[in-house]
Amino acid sequence: MNLVKAELRKLVYSRSTYGLLLASIFVAVLSTVVTPIVIEQDETGVFGSLEDRAMVDGVYANAISSYIFAIILGILIMSGEFRHGTAVATFLASPKRARVLIAKLVVTALAGALFQIISAGLSVLTGYYTLTFFENVASPSESVFINLAVASVLSGAVLGLVGVAIGSLIRNQLIAIVSTLVWLFVLEPIVLLLFVDAGKWLPTGAITGMLALEFESEAIGVSTADYLSPGISALVLLGYGAVFTAVALVTSMRRDID
Amino acid sequence: MAAIEFLDLGKKYGKVRSVRKLTASITEGKITGLLGPNGAGKSTSLRCLLGLAKPTSGEAKILGVHYKELKNPLTQIGAVLDSRGFHGGLTGKQNLKVMAAAAKIPDARVDEVLKLVDLEAAANKKAKGYSLGMKQRLSLAGALLGNPKVLILDEPANGLDPIGIAWLRGFLRTLANEGKTILVSSHQLAEMQSTVDDVIIINHGMLMAQGSMKEIIGEGTLEDAFLKLTAGGAR
Ligand SMILES: Nc1ncnc2c1ncn2[C@@H]1O[C@H](COP(=O)(O)OP(=O)(O)OP(=O)(O)O)[C@@H](O)[C@H]1O
Ligand SMILES: [Mg+2]
Repeated sequence: MNLVKAELRKLVYSRSTYGLLLASIFVAVLSTVVTPIVIEQDETGVFGSLEDRAMVDGVYANAISSYIFAIILGILIMSGEFRHGTAVATFLASPKRARVLIAKLVVTALAGALFQIISAGLSVLTGYYTLTFFENVASPSESVFINLAVASVLSGAVLGLVGVAIGSLIRNQLIAIVSTLVWLFVLEPIVLLLFVDAGKWLPTGAITGMLALEFESEAIGVSTADYLSPGISALVLLGYGAVFTAVALVTSMRRDID
Repeated sequence: MAAIEFLDLGKKYGKVRSVRKLTASITEGKITGLLGPNGAGKSTSLRCLLGLAKPTSGEAKILGVHYKELKNPLTQIGAVLDSRGFHGGLTGKQNLKVMAAAAKIPDARVDEVLKLVDLEAAANKKAKGYSLGMKQRLSLAGALLGNPKVLILDEPANGLDPIGIAWLRGFLRTLANEGKTILVSSHQLAEMQSTVDDVIIINHGMLMAQGSMKEIIGEGTLEDAFLKLTAGGAR
């Protein structure tokens, strides 16, 4: 418990926490504000129309698009110790390194969920406001907001844990963040092209599966039927996190601290 | 009783043997100087002692156990290392409050130690803006947070001006008089002669001599004794 308190203090005292939260809010808000505009501007009709309930649901679904910041938060919380040299103080206070890792996992799960709730909440509000500028907008499904709330908490917590796991494996903060982004947005799409069926088991596939919930939209060609169910997806992601953490515990977490 | 024991300690970094078969013990309630030139293996020995680096051979014990086996170590051992372990973006006080939380030490103690090292005025300034001397004081404050019986200080005089060094000497003496065991590393011999009770001299990772200051220096100065001991220790 005391280690959790120490980790919470680190988070609350660090400026980077607030910077990251602002970035997360910005991206989430931007996505719900821009999507309706893109849909309405589109003459070809490929994107469908806001008169369509599924499209309106789709707009709100974008509220969780800041999930990447939960991963980055986890990476910062773990690898920041090595970047700032605070690892020495941290491990002198708690030489059993696994305990420190557990405290970080707990705190990041909480903070990641909070990040996503705040970002998605504000994003829904601005999305709602943006939609009032358009005419004949369909009303969203009743379940959409509940699903969003569940998806934000789940994605924030789970991806935060994954971030800590990555950060414990790769001590260099910049390399950890860049490799994550490269994997998610460059390598995995390529792997997906080559092995279509394996896609849903890969991290991005699982992230999509976890976020999809019931936002099925044939209009934009996304069918959640191709993905694992949200619960299974979350478990798959937790599995990745667990494997990373286990590997880190027997490798990088054992290495000497400078 | 020995508060700290190095037992045949060895540490290799690749092919570099930073510490070789170091066996030495530190008596309770005294100030012991761990002395040696740059690269002698002082910091490495201390990192092994504190569980931050894994010995390649042998072991180091503190209060009879490995550091990792200590219960709430900050309340038993205080340490200042050459890499100080403070977050520059946090204030001195915030840095200490993080440590206090981790070791279940009440926040009121943070203000106490800040006062103890004369750092109250800068308590709410970011640590990255601290002068070298202020950083050393903050490290000392961190080491004292849990009111430990044993203090391990790696080059605490580094970067201090003469006034700071005099202050540190008096400070360490006061702590020793309170019954604390202090192990302090340094390459500044002249300073150490007037500060420590016992001496451990190492060079190239090996023990050169161990004993009370009187035994080691005889009639001369610590510097003479040191040069004699390390003579022929050509690189
Ligand atoms: N992390 C490391 N990786 C590789 N070599 C290291 C590492 N740490 C120390 N060494 C080597 O071990 C030797 C002893 O270094 P150490 O820092 O223990 O010396 P020291 O006595 O503390 O010196 P100084 O007075 O300069 O602080 C040096 O040759 C150093 O290069
Ligand atoms: Mg050193």
